[in-house]
Amino acid sequence: MSAAAARPLVTVQSLESDMATDGAAANSVPLPDVMRAAIRPDIVTFVHGQISKNARQPYAVSNRAGHQTSAESWGTGRAVSRIPRVAGGGTHRAGQGAFGNMCRGGRMFAPTKIWRRWHRQVNVTQKRHAVVSAIAASAVPSLVLARGHKIEEVPELPLVVSDAAEAVEKTSAALKVLKQIGAHPDAEKAKDSQAIRAGKGKARNRRYVSRKGPLVVYGNEGAKLVKAFRNIPGVEIAHVSRLNLLKLAPGGHLGRFVIWTKYAFEKLDSIYGTFDKVSEKKNGYVLPRAKMINADLARIINSDEVQSVVKPIKKEVKKAPLKKNPLKNLNVMLKLNPYAKAAKRMALLAEAQRVKAKQDKLDKKRKPITKIITYFCCLSMHLRFWVYLYFIGSLLLVSQSRASLMQPGWKLPCPVYLSHSVICLLQEEASAINSASKSWYKTMISDSDYTEFENFTKWLGASQ
Amino acid sequence: MATIPGQLIWEIVKKNNSFLVKEFGNGTASVKFSKEPNNLYNLHSYKHSGLANKKTVTIQPGKDQSVLLATTKTKKQNKPSTLLNKSLMRKEFNRMAKAVVNQVADNHYRPDLKKAALARLSVVNRSLKVSKSGAKKKNRQRIIA
Repeated sequence: MSAAAARPLVTVQSLESDMATDGAAANSVPLPDVMRAAIRPDIVTFVHGQISKNARQPYAVSNRAGHQTSAESWGTGRAVSRIPRVAGGGTHRAGQGAFGNMCRGGRMFAPTKIWRRWHRQVNVTQKRHAVVSAIAASAVPSLVLARGHKIEEVPELPLVVSDAAEAVEKTSAALKVLKQIGAHPDAEKAKDSQAIRAGKGKARNRRYVSRKGPLVVYGNEGAKLVKAFRNIPGVEIAHVSRLNLLKLAPGGHLGRFVIWTKYAFEKLDSIYGTFDKVSEKKNGYVLPRAKMINADLARIINSDEVQSVVKPIKKEVKKAPLKKNPLKNLNVMLKLNPYAKAAKRMALLAEAQRVKAKQDKLDKKRKPITKIITYFCCLSMHLRFWVYLYFIGSLLLVSQSRASLMQPGWKLPCPVYLSHSVICLLQEEASAINSASKSWYKTMISDSDYTEFENFTKWLGASQ
Repeated sequence: MATIPGQLIWEIVKKNNSFLVKEFGNGTASVKFSKEPNNLYNLHSYKHSGLANKKTVTIQPGKDQSVLLATTKTKKQNKPSTLLNKSLMRKEFNRMAKAVVNQVADNHYRPDLKKAALARLSVVNRSLKVSKSGAKKKNRQRIIA
């Protein structure tokens, strides 16, 4: 936050016992710059983790544990494992395995040593940054609420109480003070939450757990307030110059509910300094700066400076159309290649022509046959032969009279009576058939080895 | 008090806070709810959060059969006790709905919460009608009205 002139005022809550010396004017203190410092939960978590290791006491297993035997391995050949075994006799222990982490009564794997690195060093500036962040976070109601404190009845955050609080002597009076300033629900919450710890800790001198209540910070050494407040469950006390991160951010979580006395609040400025002024108490220390002075993104985005340069919102979302395959979809193909239509048309026509031409060619080769021929083909092989014979004969005798035709020059076993017109027709067809079959037979012969049948060829030749 | 912007608060609070309730479902499915009083849908999200926003709306059952409508005042962010504009409503549903809409949307307070506010109003109203038989359940979200 900028260290500009505007320093908001925090009203001091007055207590009953207050002498209204300052009169009607509401006591108010300007907000110290500490409360405006950058809030860095990452630094706080890190530092808290490191610092909480510093109160540890070492633990280790005894140096000699598991080695207080003179065990020797029996070696091979005795049908037992080669683990060192306890020497001697006369007791259960004799012959038992020793020294190994797997043996009963042996030493553990990697016995814990006291020279383990228990404590952690943290840079002073980092520690200070963490404390400063935690103090700043304690001034944000949302964060304090999020940590779980009941602050709905608190009149203001950060909560500053008049100095009369430092003079409180009795715990009952301290409770009354808490009630007046609206901090009682938080203390009550802590009291109600006292329970026995789950887990082994309860047997290890950590029997009870409870929630944390408010942290009271005072400014004067030896204030009576310490003794009055310390017995209230959940309430903790701290002096301003000795603020502890472990108390300000318990568990590494920012936002402890803090109650300041006026004296303590005023001291904060001198202890931590301001953004411009160096701290008086901490040598050369200046409050850390935030990465963003104004972190309010919504305001920045909606500000005139930004909005005047920004392009308008794209309301229409352009969706990519489904891709269709041009090889299957004609319209899409035409969009890409308009000539395709003409090309296709020409191809179709050419194809049709080709088909037609081929058909014609075939038709020409295959002569159409009349009814007689079909009848002829239906005749049996045997009959066909004789009819064929007859026609050959008829052709030979074509010049002779018709009557002589009727005279059976050859004795036909089956008399075939045919009319004249039919005979003429038959003679034409016969010649067609003749030539066709001659060529067919020629190919047959040439294809096969049918050369011995010379009667046939002679016969065909004679008919010519 | 330095008004720490809502975005910053949200960044700190979103991972872990005392009101966060995680419900685990099938496999990796889980929902995050939030128990703070100023959350209309009780969902853990920036828009609905009662912690991270300067202007919030809350609707709760008030004392016997009335509905409490409360909005936060923007100028009093650091004074928790006087932060809310509370109003108890004892009217019939239509009137209450109109009042809610007026407060939330029509005066441009938080128009994006209008639907949520109305939904919550109807649920709260219905719960009031049901006669409370059985163990009394403590309303953990209660703002002390």
